[in-house]
Amino acid sequence: MKLIRTNPFSLNRVSDFDEWFRHPLAGLPSLSSFINNLGEVFPGVAGDKLAVDVHEDKDNYFASFEVPGVKKEDVKIELNNSMLTVSAEKREKDGEKESSYSLTRSVSVPEGVNAEAIAAKLEDGILTVTLPKQERSKPRTIALN
Amino acid sequence: MNTTCSPRTNNNTAATSGVTESLRKPLYNVNGNAEAYEVRVELPGVPKSGVKLDLEENILTIRGERSTNVPEGMKALHRELSPLSYLLRLRLNTPVNEDQMTAKLEDGVLTLRLPLKEVAKPRQIPVL
Repeated sequence: MKLIRTNPFSLNRVSDFDEWFRHPLAGLPSLSSFINNLGEVFPGVAGDKLAVDVHEDKDNYFASFEVPGVKKEDVKIELNNSMLTVSAEKREKDGEKESSYSLTRSVSVPEGVNAEAIAAKLEDGILTVTLPKQERSKPRTIALN
Repeated sequence: MNTTCSPRTNNNTAATSGVTESLRKPLYNVNGNAEAYEVRVELPGVPKSGVKLDLEENILTIRGERSTNVPEGMKALHRELSPLSYLLRLRLNTPVNEDQMTAKLEDGVLTLRLPLKEVAKPRQIPVL
């Protein structure tokens, strides 16, 4: 019995599976909405990651994370092997009861970032990490002689 | 008393003829005791100047305009944050003291305190 079929029609199936593997809940709307609802009731339990925007200009990359209600001292930013990881501890007060949960997100940092000069700022619940490009990765105009 | 509502995924699209203004419902939380209600609304990206509050009849309307902080000449490489502004309408089923309402915006979270009117506060009725 052949386990792996090589007929071209089966390639579709393979890529479907691949897709499913990457987004395991994408094809199961009922389950995925169930998980989402869980995430709302118990944030941090399911699928809670920080949303991120990445922008670039001539000199910098900018990664912006949504962290409403998070204090400066509860944010941790790490650069490890060209992975930038942001962890935010969110504390919520519900009457007298205080609860906290953490949100985290990693993004891979493109090559040519000056790691020493990475800076971060927290404003209106948005954390912006500025990653300056190194001189050599900036576009240069080469003059023709 | 604690109610967590409003899924992030439910976009409130207020489409009127001609002009399409897309808004979304923010995440919010309501807590209360015998004295006041406390409403916490998550409005990341909204500066103080972008918050508009309005209490008409018993409908509390909270609008949060996101600051478009993407300067000229910047290219988006990856986008997950929604640029849509926020709109939240809450129907208050208890009379509140409008004059003593307070609002505070801190770290992208708006905290509203809505003190209850005397008539709405729980009372102890002595047995004679």
